[in-house]
Amino acid sequence: MDWILILSTAFWSGWAALGFGILFNVPPRTLFALWIGGAIGVLIKLTLLQFSVSVVLASFIGASAVGMLSIPIAHKRHVPPMIFAIPAVIPLIPGVFAYRTMLGLIKLTGTIGADYNLILSETINNAAKTLFIIMSLAIGVAIPMHVMRKESAKNIRL
Amino acid sequence: MEQEKIIEAKELGSLLLDVGVSLLSSGASCSRIRITMRRLATAYHYDAHISIAPKSISLTLNVEKEYVIFNGMRSTPSQGVNFKTISGISRLSWEAVENELSIHQVRDKLNALLALPHYPRIIILTFVSLAGAGFCFSFGGKLLEMIIAFGATFCGLFIRQEAIKRKFNPYFCVFFGSLTASMFAGAFIKAGLNINFEHAFATSVLFLIPGVPLINSFTDLIDGNILNGIVRGVNALMFSMAIAFGLLVTMIIYNLN
Repeated sequence: MDWILILSTAFWSGWAALGFGILFNVPPRTLFALWIGGAIGVLIKLTLLQFSVSVVLASFIGASAVGMLSIPIAHKRHVPPMIFAIPAVIPLIPGVFAYRTMLGLIKLTGTIGADYNLILSETINNAAKTLFIIMSLAIGVAIPMHVMRKESAKNIRL
Repeated sequence: MEQEKIIEAKELGSLLLDVGVSLLSSGASCSRIRITMRRLATAYHYDAHISIAPKSISLTLNVEKEYVIFNGMRSTPSQGVNFKTISGISRLSWEAVENELSIHQVRDKLNALLALPHYPRIIILTFVSLAGAGFCFSFGGKLLEMIIAFGATFCGLFIRQEAIKRKFNPYFCVFFGSLTASMFAGAFIKAGLNINFEHAFATSVLFLIPGVPLINSFTDLIDGNILNGIVRGVNALMFSMAIAFGLLVTMIIYNLN
């Protein structure tokens, strides 16, 4: 994967975050920040994948970056951090792994053939990746608030 | 004096419950609901005790930590994720504390806030479809697949909105959306176009992923609201199953493997 592809993927991920922001009816003043946030999360994840970091850890670091970014944006745009953070991590959601898990589960309902064990291990692998990536996204988003141990982003001084 | 106090407590209690259920149905996490309701109660010198169930909120207001002056419960209206409500209520609660607004002023502002419109439907459809195309690119799709993902998302979301309008069961709404989107994408594969099956198919239904329940589920679990976390998690799982079921039906109809 070359850098142009990474950058254009980040560009399109920004649009994915923006689209979900509009679906969730975020205030218009946060839309541009959302585009940037979605792009940055994916940029960090893909860059880390280039250095052969595991996909779970890369997603976690990407989501944490979005979570950290959500606090200054909460201050600037006067919105709760989660308004920015949730749509911005959506491009990091492992859609392909989830899709393959589902497809694998459907195949597992068939008769037991020669490749049943292979399908079983592939399905479990995809399911585990999906679960752990989604968990790391949620934790990454929640971390800034918990690390700073404040009830509201308003009390966090930067 | 005593009578006035009771009327004020009733008004405040009703306001707090409205704030709580609006937040709950718009997709706020439990700790946010609790913090916002407490912040408002403290501003008027009451002590609030709150219990959040999956579809209702109960509230008790105490005076000076002594006797109970208000008891109430409200169930949530059925309504989708709405972040404008969440951010508006958050601002309103701070405004009420800092500017010492009266209960009536807060009530008027809340009603104005809840009446704010969504984005126009065509804007929602266009941008969510653009998001679908964006997803398709990030999973390795090319221009043709992106256009298909755009069209599939547009049709799927349109059908889902129509189903929601006709008050179908929410899981059925997602199922209809997933079925429509995957039928759209599958038609191009069936027509023999040289496209990557997985990219077109998997990304056409991504606009349905229950992102807010999923993330809120974990947020609630981390905060110790285990029951609410489990309920939201199972809810997200049900939505995912509805998506999977829509894909499965398409695969059976088109006989794809």
